[in-house]
Amino acid sequence: MADLTVEKLGVRLGDNEILRGVSMSVPRGKVVAFLGPSGSGKTTLLRAVAGLEKPHSGAIRIGDRALYDAASGIDLPAEERGLGLVFQSYALWPHRTVFDNVAYGLKLRGVTGDERKKRVEAALAQIGLSHLAARYPHQLSGGQQQRVALARALVYEPPVILLDEPLSNLDAKLREEARAWLRQLIVSLNLSALCVTHDQIEAMAIADKIVLLNGGVIEQEGTPTQLYSAPRTLFAAEFMGSNNRLVGVSTGSGKLKVGDAILEGVARGEVAAGAPAVGVIRLERMRVAEAAGPNRIRMELKTQMYLGERFELVFALDKMLVRAYAEREISPGAHYVEFPKDALWIFPQE
Amino acid sequence: MPYAVIRFSVLAVMAVAVLAPLSLVGYQSFLSAPFFDSMARFTLDAYRFVFSESDFWTAFGTTLIVAGGMTVIALPLGALLAFLMVRTDLPGRAWLEPMILIPLFVSAVVLAFGYVVALGPVGIISTHVKAVIGFLPWNIYSLTSLVVIAGLAHVPHVYLYTAAALRGLASDMEEAARVAGAGPWQVAFHVSLPMVMPSMLFAGVLVFFLGFELFGLPLVLGDPQGLLVLTTYLYKLTNKLGVPSYQLMAVVVVIIVAVTAPLVYMQRVLLKQAQRYVSVRGKGLKQAPLPLGPWRYVALAGILLWFAITVIVPIAGITLRSFVVSWGEGVKLMEVLTLDHYRELFEYPNIIRGILNTLGIGVIGGAVAVVCYTAIALSIHRWQSGWTRVVDYLAMAPRAMPGLVAGLAMLWVFLFFKPLSPLKATLFSVWLAYTIVWLAYGMRLISGTLLQVGPELEESARTIGATPLRTQLDVTVPLIRYGFIASWLLIFLIFVREYSTGVYLLGPGTEVIGSLLVSLWGTGAVDLVSALSVVNVLMIAFGLAVALRLGVRLHG
Amino acid sequence: MRKFSMLAAALLFSFSASAQTPSGYPADYSKIVDAAKKEAKLIVYATTDAVAAGPLIKDFEALYPGISVEYSDLNSTEVYNRFISESAAGSTADVIWSSAMDLQVKLVADGKALTYASPEIPNLPKWAVWKNEAYGTTHEPIAFVYNKRIVPPGDVPQTHADLAKLLAAKPDFYKGKVTAYDPERSGVGFLFVNEDVKNWPDAWGLFREFGKTGARLYTSAGAMMERVGSGEHLIGYGIFGSYALGRAKKDPGIGIVLPKDYTLVTSRVAFISKQAKNPNAAKLFLDYILSKRGQTIIANQALLYSLRDDVDGPASVKAVRDEVGDKARPVAIGPDLLKGLDQMNRLAFLKKWQAAMKGQ
Repeated sequence: MADLTVEKLGVRLGDNEILRGVSMSVPRGKVVAFLGPSGSGKTTLLRAVAGLEKPHSGAIRIGDRALYDAASGIDLPAEERGLGLVFQSYALWPHRTVFDNVAYGLKLRGVTGDERKKRVEAALAQIGLSHLAARYPHQLSGGQQQRVALARALVYEPPVILLDEPLSNLDAKLREEARAWLRQLIVSLNLSALCVTHDQIEAMAIADKIVLLNGGVIEQEGTPTQLYSAPRTLFAAEFMGSNNRLVGVSTGSGKLKVGDAILEGVARGEVAAGAPAVGVIRLERMRVAEAAGPNRIRMELKTQMYLGERFELVFALDKMLVRAYAEREISPGAHYVEFPKDALWIFPQE
Repeated sequence: MPYAVIRFSVLAVMAVAVLAPLSLVGYQSFLSAPFFDSMARFTLDAYRFVFSESDFWTAFGTTLIVAGGMTVIALPLGALLAFLMVRTDLPGRAWLEPMILIPLFVSAVVLAFGYVVALGPVGIISTHVKAVIGFLPWNIYSLTSLVVIAGLAHVPHVYLYTAAALRGLASDMEEAARVAGAGPWQVAFHVSLPMVMPSMLFAGVLVFFLGFELFGLPLVLGDPQGLLVLTTYLYKLTNKLGVPSYQLMAVVVVIIVAVTAPLVYMQRVLLKQAQRYVSVRGKGLKQAPLPLGPWRYVALAGILLWFAITVIVPIAGITLRSFVVSWGEGVKLMEVLTLDHYRELFEYPNIIRGILNTLGIGVIGGAVAVVCYTAIALSIHRWQSGWTRVVDYLAMAPRAMPGLVAGLAMLWVFLFFKPLSPLKATLFSVWLAYTIVWLAYGMRLISGTLLQVGPELEESARTIGATPLRTQLDVTVPLIRYGFIASWLLIFLIFVREYSTGVYLLGPGTEVIGSLLVSLWGTGAVDLVSALSVVNVLMIAFGLAVALRLGVRLHG
Repeated sequence: MRKFSMLAAALLFSFSASAQTPSGYPADYSKIVDAAKKEAKLIVYATTDAVAAGPLIKDFEALYPGISVEYSDLNSTEVYNRFISESAAGSTADVIWSSAMDLQVKLVADGKALTYASPEIPNLPKWAVWKNEAYGTTHEPIAFVYNKRIVPPGDVPQTHADLAKLLAAKPDFYKGKVTAYDPERSGVGFLFVNEDVKNWPDAWGLFREFGKTGARLYTSAGAMMERVGSGEHLIGYGIFGSYALGRAKKDPGIGIVLPKDYTLVTSRVAFISKQAKNPNAAKLFLDYILSKRGQTIIANQALLYSLRDDVDGPASVKAVRDEVGDKARPVAIGPDLLKGLDQMNRLAFLKKWQAAMKGQ
């Protein structure tokens, strides 16, 4: 199986530029997640790869085979691309049993008789639903439907499977289990997968590589670690994780003036002294101290919330609010909140 | 007043309005003479007579063939048409849509007579065909022609239901099939159409049902060869014994009701299934039409051919007839052109009144009917009760009576229910008859509209503290204002085209075009019939144009 | 001012009332006229279409100003149905005027009619009056019509026997080209063929020819005339002379023959309902259509064929006589007509008819 590559893809819906020249690739046997807020174009990108949206420029290839190429006028219809797609709604055909839903792709590929039966049964076994083959979709739970949808997309061994918000229709508890199961299944079957999600945790959990989309262009792409710990832009930094955002003025490279305090951090991008700048810091990197020190600001504890494994604290100084975590409850009143220098990224104001 | 009281009063009024004429007919079927005759006594003789009549069984058989045949024709064509219109890149869909529905709104007698003029043995088209190929390849009066014409004319019914279901279908079901490797036609036959199968079958049952009450087409087209269906058999029965024998007519109506009642039950079952499918819907993404390639022009040609046969040919026929003195073999049309028929039309005060009354009953009567249907629909809206089923059956019941008999039964109601008697000679009687006969149709329009209001909108009003009645008046009704206008227009079109129901209520002051047409046809005034038909068609065309102008979707 | 107009109205009233007692009418006829004016209204159910009846009604209203006529034209079955339903309910039309002679006679026999000896009786033929209740108002010959453009002049049948011979001689040319009322589906049709059989011993022979040539049977004269006019059919058998005449006036392609061996004559029968709300106006109307004035309009404008000997016109008894001499055979209004309504008789007759239609 070859790499899926997307080159400078442009998609327009009416006057709306949904994708403005996106390039990316899914290496063989890897899972790539498209991540982004709604309207970023991630679902459009996935549907364009599947052949369900019509691009106007660029190219989509699997290995050397062009699925779409604006330059040479190639645009294979969805059914000739041979990909597998798992819909957000699962889109199981209500008039067919689980078995028939899964078997349909094989039937279209001329796989008949025992061979078809064997492969469908194998696919159902993989997803652990062999015993439900004769059921109709509406007789299944949401989680089971999701698995059937996956089996239906896998059974004819497409080079890449596409997953559109595969977990979003499951409830929270089930979602975490399904996430692990899905990742494990994809890895064990050595599948190439492209997964669209708006949930960064889901993306990081499932994917080997994340493509972060914003307004129809790629904001950043890389491994989950790269995206989480080395965001290149303010957008990327803020999109990932839970953050405090400090709006202030730069006082030189790596220096941010917030209120009366001056904090030192890691400069991300050029910010001239005196220009507005934004500091971003992940919540789990915040420290609470009892004495003054570098990069510490004295703030009033406003409220603390018990989250089970820890406490979430909210501090305030004038109008500025910051949040932090603590292992155990702390006393009310003023504390020194520390923004460790290596964890505070300072971006130019966008 | 408690909501339950209002609900039950509305439903009680409806039940009385439906059951009074119906039970009169049922009662009559067990008597030996008209129910108002002092000689009448209970007997099963009428049933014995009808069942021993060979003509009855012939008519019954013919009715089955016609109903079955037209279903077999209308179902696949309507379904295909719906798929082409809703799911493909067929050219000209925007202007095809209203066109396709025209047959719904043209009176069957108008169509039938138009066919005689155009395609009859010496029809305008027939003579040309004969001149070219030497013989006439069709016989418009045969059973086959009747079945084909009735089938083609009922394609819009199937289209409506199937198209609505296809539109309700989440597109991801189809996309899933395409990604799995299915081409457009495979998508249609493996996914889209099977998924709307319950709706298609529902429409099929409806068409079959309508086959039983077909009247105008067999009346005109079946006449020359004595082809009888149950409704036209009623006519023959009247004469069989020399004097109209109500008990025999009543028996036939009871039989029609008995045969069609299970169909209503089937429809309910199918409807439930259809809803089960629709409830499994994904997000409504824009549906990309399936590209048909060169087939799109073939499909378009097919649709235009169907339209030409079903609408253009008969309407052109009747229009032409209205402008000539005579026609047929050896007549040069240019020499017989005349406007006299129209001039004559406007010399008769009862015809002028008829045209005005028709407008009145369509516009004002239609609006009042919509209000009544709404009251009934609201009273069962989101009501979790077995009574809703009863209401459904009640609504369908009048449809099982041929319009003519329904009209006669209504006449009886007006005659023998004294409080209503003073209204007999007014348009109210005609309006009430129409409103009852079209109850099922109107209810479906309104309840369809009501269902578009999300339950949470109503529930939120309830939780804020609105009573059920307040909720309906303040939330539900305002939300479907637009649906009302659409329903009003559709009811207008239906009322304007209705022809047989008003015949027995026809009198000075209650003339409507439909019953005038039947009456004039009987007296042989074909000139006036054709001119009046054209006026009728123009009124309908005007109504349709207004509907389209306002952007009314011509389906529920 | 108001006083004056009332006075004027009173004057006008008395003047017109006294002026309108026609000669030969009883002296107290003006009482009926006065009573009728008080009723001011008259309801008529009729099979004569409003188009044809229009001149009559206009003239009647002119003659008796103040009486307005509510005229409903319906087919004969509807007239009958409405009348019996409504009279059972207590209120119905004042005058029933229908071409279904048998149904009219049945209603009269059932006691639904008001007995009223019209002062016009001396001017009417005997057959047209029954029990001083049912009155024939017209003298309508039953004609053959044919398509002048297509039927060769030599073929045009002048007698019933001619028609039978023609069909036997040219069965292919006339295959499916003859049209008649269907006695099984139409009361009028039944009446006609029943009378044919009474008047002509060979009638069944003709009907068998109908069967062999596949005659097309209809329930309405309009359908038949239309198709004879168009050439779809060529010869129409048993068509009301009034319809034929009306149609031929518009369409020169239609020819009419009154058969020379015998010509059936039917009549539109009128009676006054026993329950008439406006019995006096009804009497005036009945007398009016039987009067010379009314009959003259029937003969010249309505073209329904007048009944009285003293009236001239294209549709008059004289016109019929000019064409067929003494061969007119009026269907007498009376109990004989009830025989056809007897269930056994009727079904037996229809059975024979069905056999004839199969050529047997």
